[in-house]
Amino acid sequence: MSKKILILSQSYLESTTDQVCQWMDYLKIPYLRLNGEDFFRFQQLSDLPDNTETAVVWYRRKIAHFPAEFSLKQPDFNSQYTMKRFLVDEFNGLHSFLFHSIDAQKWLNDPLSEKNLNKLQVLQLARRLNILTPFTEVVTTKTKIMALLEQYPALIVKPLSECILLEDTERRAYKMLTSTIDQKSLGAVPETFFPSLVQERIVKKFEIRTFYLDGVCYSMAIFSQNNRKTTDDFRNYDNHRPNRTVPYKLPADLEHKLDQLMKILRFRTGSIDLMVDMQGNYHFLEINPEGQFGMVSHPCNYYLEKKFARLLHQSVLHEKEIHQQPENKENAAPATVFSEAE
Amino acid sequence: MEYLNIYANCQLVKGANMSLLCDLQMRRFYHLPNDTAEVLLFLQQYSIDECIAHYGEDNREAIAGYVDFFVSRELGFIDDRILPELTAMELTWDRFADITNVVIEYQETIDYTGSFFRELLDQHLEGLEIRFYQPVALPELRELLALFSDSTLRHIKLVLPYEKSLNIAALDELVKKHQRVKSLLVHSSPEEKLEKIFSNSVPVYYFTGKINSCMACGEIRAHHFTVNTELFTESLRFNSCLNRKLSIDQQGYIKNCPSMRENYGHVADTSLQAVLDNKTFNRYNHIRKDDIAVCKDCEFRHVCTDCRAYIENPQDIYSKPLKCGYNPYTNNWEEWAQHPMKQAAIEWYGMAEIIK
Ligand code: SF4
Ligand code: SF4
Repeated sequence: MSKKILILSQSYLESTTDQVCQWMDYLKIPYLRLNGEDFFRFQQLSDLPDNTETAVVWYRRKIAHFPAEFSLKQPDFNSQYTMKRFLVDEFNGLHSFLFHSIDAQKWLNDPLSEKNLNKLQVLQLARRLNILTPFTEVVTTKTKIMALLEQYPALIVKPLSECILLEDTERRAYKMLTSTIDQKSLGAVPETFFPSLVQERIVKKFEIRTFYLDGVCYSMAIFSQNNRKTTDDFRNYDNHRPNRTVPYKLPADLEHKLDQLMKILRFRTGSIDLMVDMQGNYHFLEINPEGQFGMVSHPCNYYLEKKFARLLHQSVLHEKEIHQQPENKENAAPATVFSEAE
Repeated sequence: MEYLNIYANCQLVKGANMSLLCDLQMRRFYHLPNDTAEVLLFLQQYSIDECIAHYGEDNREAIAGYVDFFVSRELGFIDDRILPELTAMELTWDRFADITNVVIEYQETIDYTGSFFRELLDQHLEGLEIRFYQPVALPELRELLALFSDSTLRHIKLVLPYEKSLNIAALDELVKKHQRVKSLLVHSSPEEKLEKIFSNSVPVYYFTGKINSCMACGEIRAHHFTVNTELFTESLRFNSCLNRKLSIDQQGYIKNCPSMRENYGHVADTSLQAVLDNKTFNRYNHIRKDDIAVCKDCEFRHVCTDCRAYIENPQDIYSKPLKCGYNPYTNNWEEWAQHPMKQAAIEWYGMAEIIK
């Protein structure tokens, strides 16, 4: 069997993967798309994609919902939640085996680096590369916040991990967002609290979302300042006055530093968030290696889905060159039980 | 010094007298005199003060008015320089399919499950329009729509004659089951109205006119104009109706569009690849609005769709769509069907009966 492009994704709500796959179909690039849901159809460990058959792996998503139900004899909120967490861990125990069984250099992004990505570490790396970052601290007391407010007119609090969605009993979803602390809102801050990440608040002219694709930065400026509702975080969409999103070209030296940063982290793709202050300085905020690039590709007409398909193709060709193994002429369908592409 | 930065997805299209500012992101357009467009082009290189100096103090108020308009409509913003980092948008167009749009004139005797249709559905189709000239029963409609359930086709538009049994509740149920159906046009209806079904997401346009043949197609009306990056960029390089379009007429013949005379074989015995490889099939793809008489001087040319089946001069494939009443030299809309210059073509197409 010839060496394959392996795409790890989920079966629905994945328009980015769908479009990359559609481009590959059109360009006649063979690939194998393995959705998290397919793991429920495996019969044995050997049904998992094999290292020798795989040339390159793009890990996009794991799974949206388990196609399996569970019930507890005495359901109550806590055990439901514990059970859910347990199943997630069980699933991950299987899924992340691939991170070890398939050689790290075959992954577009080093899977363990991606899994263990730490916001504070990324900021530290960026600073070492002389990329400007907002002043960042982790604090536990109001006294410390007051001291910081002497130096910075306002601070923002955001999670050290990722923003989560909370659901109330009526299943209304609440999204965690970044919020601001200044002299006015200081009253609401307790004396001591859980260790929390605070950053100086940058008064922004606009934000930048860059999609990094194998050494090239595709950037987009996001103008949201006219929009009071979104001054802290543009993900809080305002449908009536959407943010203006336009193509942008970062200065060459910043692109070069971002390239170094991504290379240190062993990421060939990912999205990078930056902010431009009123003076025009660039502040690096964070990296999201999973990168939902449709939101940059479509507004800027970058055709990143097609470029991504080409990158996967090049990687497979490149891989073939390195390992000039005698090829088994079998062109038949894969031996595994899951579906090839869509 | 203050400069007006205009967002790259706000594109200016100049016509003979008027220009169109197309806000491709917000999907709106602004109709402007060419003089105003000149000023805007000047402002893309010079400061507001330099602009006033160039056009004279007398125009200060007018220029300030344009700038305010741009800022208040969020078409641009003021800064102390023109930001060179805000690069131009690449106006390329591409799709992952050789056929993106399909029109089917439904006929119950045609087998829509044959190999030609299977090949067609293997393309990652964007849109499918199914035209019913005769009343259709709900079970038949359901059966037809089920054929597309496993494809990657994105949206379906249904054109149906008015039928009492196809009431709003029935249509609502239908589109809930077949979520690719994104819009419906009900012709021969007792009244003109717009209804929205499936939690307001799918429009149903009721239209009193009859659509009983392909000759009803090709009307160019201002309310059909569409402002978005897809159409804008496609129309810069390709025909904005026929590029990557394929149709199957009532007799099962494969055509560029049902209204065209030439066909490329019958669905029963033709392969899609053979059609795609046929040079004649692709001959309309590259006829751009910029190549078409009159349209090339029209400010609407990249928000308007084209028509090559019905043109003012049937002998000249580069002549203007017959069913357009707009004159970009006078900026007036007239009823095309009454226009003296169009009567010869109307007769040539045998259309007089239909449009009266
Ligand atoms: S070419 Fe004219 S008649 Fe044919 S589909 Fe296009 S608009 Fe309709
Ligand atoms: S003149 Fe051409 S481009 Fe202008 S509205 Fe008519 S058909 Fe469209």
